[in-house]
Amino acid sequence: MFSAVPDGGSGGARAPKAVPDLSGLSQAQKLARLRHHLAGHHLAGQDPARRMLPVPAPVAELLPGGGLPGGSVVGVGGARLLLLALLAQVTAAGGHAAVVALPDLGLLAAAELGADLGRLAVVADPSPDPLEVAAVLLDGMDVVVLGADRAVTPARAQVVAARARGKGAVLIVSGAPWPGLDLRFEARVSRCEGVGRGHGRLRCLLLAVRAWGRSFPERRGLVRLEGDRGLVRVRGAQDFPGATAQDGPGAAGWGAR
Amino acid sequence: MGGAVSGRVLAVWCPDWPAVAAAAAAGVPAHQPVAVLLANRVQVCSAPARVEGVRRGLRRREAQSRCPGLTVLPADADRDGRYFEPVAGAVDTMVPGAEVLRPGLLVVPARGVGRFFGGEDKAAERLVDAVGAVALPGQGGQVGVECQVGAADQLFTAVTAARSSTHVAVGGDAAFLAPLPVAVLAAEPALAAPGRADFVDLLRRLGLRTVGDFAALPAKDVASRFDRDAVLAHRRARGEADRPPSARPLPPDVAVGQRFDPPLARVDAAAFAGRALAAQLHTRLAAAAVACTRLRVLARTTGGGELARVWRCAQPLTPDATADRVRWQLDGWLTARAAAGGAGEGGAGEGITALTLEPVEVVDAGALQLGLWDGEDQGQERARRALARVQGLLGGDAVRVGVLSGGVGPGERVTLVPFGDEPVPAADPAPPWPGRMPAPSPSTVFAQPPPARLLDRSGAPVAVTGRGHLTGDPEQLAWRAAQARVRGWSGPWLVDPQWWAERWWEGAARLSVRLQVEVEGSVVVLLLWRDQVWQVEGVYE
Repeated sequence: MFSAVPDGGSGGARAPKAVPDLSGLSQAQKLARLRHHLAGHHLAGQDPARRMLPVPAPVAELLPGGGLPGGSVVGVGGARLLLLALLAQVTAAGGHAAVVALPDLGLLAAAELGADLGRLAVVADPSPDPLEVAAVLLDGMDVVVLGADRAVTPARAQVVAARARGKGAVLIVSGAPWPGLDLRFEARVSRCEGVGRGHGRLRCLLLAVRAWGRSFPERRGLVRLEGDRGLVRVRGAQDFPGATAQDGPGAAGWGAR
Repeated sequence: MGGAVSGRVLAVWCPDWPAVAAAAAAGVPAHQPVAVLLANRVQVCSAPARVEGVRRGLRRREAQSRCPGLTVLPADADRDGRYFEPVAGAVDTMVPGAEVLRPGLLVVPARGVGRFFGGEDKAAERLVDAVGAVALPGQGGQVGVECQVGAADQLFTAVTAARSSTHVAVGGDAAFLAPLPVAVLAAEPALAAPGRADFVDLLRRLGLRTVGDFAALPAKDVASRFDRDAVLAHRRARGEADRPPSARPLPPDVAVGQRFDPPLARVDAAAFAGRALAAQLHTRLAAAAVACTRLRVLARTTGGGELARVWRCAQPLTPDATADRVRWQLDGWLTARAAAGGAGEGGAGEGITALTLEPVEVVDAGALQLGLWDGEDQGQERARRALARVQGLLGGDAVRVGVLSGGVGPGERVTLVPFGDEPVPAADPAPPWPGRMPAPSPSTVFAQPPPARLLDRSGAPVAVTGRGHLTGDPEQLAWRAAQARVRGWSGPWLVDPQWWAERWWEGAARLSVRLQVEVEGSVVVLLLWRDQVWQVEGVYE
């Protein structure tokens, strides 16, 4: 693992590269740690085949490399909040992202999650050929999200995936099945907090996330999205009060999806 | 190292050029002491005057006291430029591609020259001869312009070498510069930014006395402590190329041109036309977000001849600097034509029928000499190009970026603007917007909200009263052919808390509220009550 990731900077003692452990740190320390982490994972100026796109910390724990490997094709199903959180992290780290054929994506929610909207382009209506548009965008963007409304033939999927691999960009497919995914996410809102019967307001959402890929078996985790003064904070759910086993993805019916 | 690949440069330097030009204009023979004064101080003096003790910066009176026979002449940049044109022409006929740095100094690419003339030394000799044979107008038949030639891999080294008539061997730039005092970095005004002299002074005070000392500093330390010009000076001190190898590609259609009918024969008319063209050129360059560092001035004459000259600058050209160079150039050409015999024909001599200004090399308007922040810019540039290509496929409006805006609803709070347009929000995000829902916001916001039905326990539709209350407790939400049991709701939240302030007479019909409804399966839906119906505005999932 150490040798797989290029040494990013001239810093002193480095934490093991997988995921920075942020527990028990002050805000400033967390920032410093994350910046350090990003230096290794920085989007620009890295061998495209080996770079990692940053993901929110609780999601990173589910991934073997601690990020989305450049050149991969990722399927994201279920709750869109996970997709937005991924986009927010990439654009906040200075990457460029484009969203193709997902017309109703809530950009305000992305901004609350920390996205830099100036780096997030939206192609709401790419007809007649969304795949072609996504392929063009893979040339220049770090992440391209494609909302596929119908199944794609393996031959075409291969062409687009090869494009992503060549450029070190990540293609995220949402919606219809895609042949040959490197990595898959399924997210579901397992619980929400704050809405009463005629009082309160939505304050917090708990996402149950499953991730699995070609190279690793399924892993599960909880992501807590909490509104905080106009922003949404993304945290792991171990500090979620009252998070019990039945909130997890192992609950009945979940595996069938 | 591999400096030979980039091409050798020959620099032709005429010492004390303003003094030479002024003396020629005034008809003073070259062996008499001459000083050119600007603001009562000596700007330049000729070699005989220097022997008598006249120095740059002396007051007029002191200069005259040191050298009683001194001829004092006023400074005139136009004159310098005009008189230099025959010299540039003489060099250009021998070695094509001469570029003028300033009147008195020009460089020629030496690639192939050495071979053609049998060595750079021979080429330099021929250049000195050619320049020496130039007859300046007004010199009264007297022939002779003194010049020195230097050769090196890099332009700056060549210019420095010209001051001592040195031929620096291939790859020997750094070694040649190393023992020289740091002051040479600021010696040539055409190759230094205005603050260079202060910088050199600072280096001296830091104990860096020779160019070699300065060159020995690591580039990143120089870049992190000093300004851009210092980085440039450092590159020169190390004998590296001035500009990054890939300057910006020339944007199409930046050249400007104009035809003149009747032809321009007078210098003042030419200067006026040149100024207008220069302004036009800079408008185009600014539109392309570039600045020009090398400019070709092209003119066509009534005789069908074509004249061209390239001007090169250390700093990107300003409109005024461009206009100056065009004026000098036209002035030089017209004067040369007049001297060549046009004057005898009573003004019917050759004039200029067309003039074109053509940038040869451009840099980013905010150019960096060294790609310190390249990574970032490259990523942005790549993204920009990809998005522009999609715009080419689908139309400019198809690619949009969001900008946070004022408004109450989740859809209103982000304005989508076509990519490339100025990101102007539809409403100012700053003032307080009462009625906003706090974060988190829905992850799906429908552009065309689908209708929904909200039912109470008895199956009757839940509506909103004129006071903004629900008529019953919601029990079922029907939406998109699915019906789900309501587990909780929050609100109703008035969309516009001051809805009654205007058009109050429309009463409850205009009342609009939002409602967060949580249904089974932990799905929260944002409902909007408007025009007496419920719509699903967004979904939190």
